[in-house]
Amino acid sequence: MADLPPYPGTPRWVKVFGILALVVVLLLVILLLTRGPGGHGPGRHAPFGTAGGHTPPSSVTEDRTPSSSGLRGHKLPEGGH
Amino acid sequence: MIMPPRLRKFALTAHVTTTVGWLGAVVVFLALAIVGLTSPDAQTVRGAYLVMEPTAWLVLVPLAFASLLTGIVQALGTTWGLFRHYWVLFKLLMALFITIVLLIYMETFSVMADVAVDPSADLALVRNASPMLHAALALLVLLVATVLAVYKPRGMTRYGWRKQHEQRAVSQP
Repeated sequence: MADLPPYPGTPRWVKVFGILALVVVLLLVILLLTRGPGGHGPGRHAPFGTAGGHTPPSSVTEDRTPSSSGLRGHKLPEGGH
Repeated sequence: MIMPPRLRKFALTAHVTTTVGWLGAVVVFLALAIVGLTSPDAQTVRGAYLVMEPTAWLVLVPLAFASLLTGIVQALGTTWGLFRHYWVLFKLLMALFITIVLLIYMETFSVMADVAVDPSADLALVRNASPMLHAALALLVLLVATVLAVYKPRGMTRYGWRKQHEQRAVSQP
C-alpha cells in the first residue's frame, strides 16, 4: 500500500471559525460563572426596564401545576383589542 | 453505508425541511419576544410569554431533534461523512450546542410563563429581554450553519484525509 501523502493542514477559515467559537463559548462560561450558581434561568438576564434579575412572585412559585392546555389554566381576558 | 440516490434525496429533503422549519420557528420566537418587550398592551405582553413554553415544546424541540437526526443520517449516508469535512463537523457541533441550550432554556420558558400568568405580577417584571437575546443568537447560529451547508467550504479533517486515501488505495490496487 502506498504511503499516505502529507496532510495539507487546517484551512484558515477553520482556524478563524474555531477561534471565534472558542471566544463565544468562553464568554458564555464567564457569564454563567459571574452570574452565580443555579440553573439557566431568566434571572440571568435583566428584565426589560429594570437593573437586575428578578424572582417570580411567591404566588407563582408556590403553585406550578401545569394545566392540560399547556397554558397553566390561564385564560386571557376577552376583549382589549 | 452510502444511501441509494432516491433515499439520499428523501433524506436531504427531510433535513432541509426540518432545518428551515427550525429557522422559521426561531424567527417567530424572535417576533414574540419583541412583542413581549415592546407591546403597550398588558394582555398581549402576558400572552406572548405564556405561549412561548408550549410552542417551544411542540415546535422548537421536535424540529431541533429532527434537524439533528436527519443531518446525522444525511452525513453518514453520503460520502461527506460526519467527521471528514470541517463544515459538516462545525454544523453538527453548532446544532448540538443550540439544541442543548434550548433544552436547558425550557425551564426559563416555564418560569417566565409562571410570572406572566400571575395577575399580581407587575408588567415590568413580566417583560424579559432573555428570549429576544436567545432567539437572536440561535438565529445567528442557524444562519451560519445554512451558509456552511450551501457554500461547503473546502477542508478535510485528518481523519477524513486518512479515510479518503485508504479508500483510494483499496479502489486502485
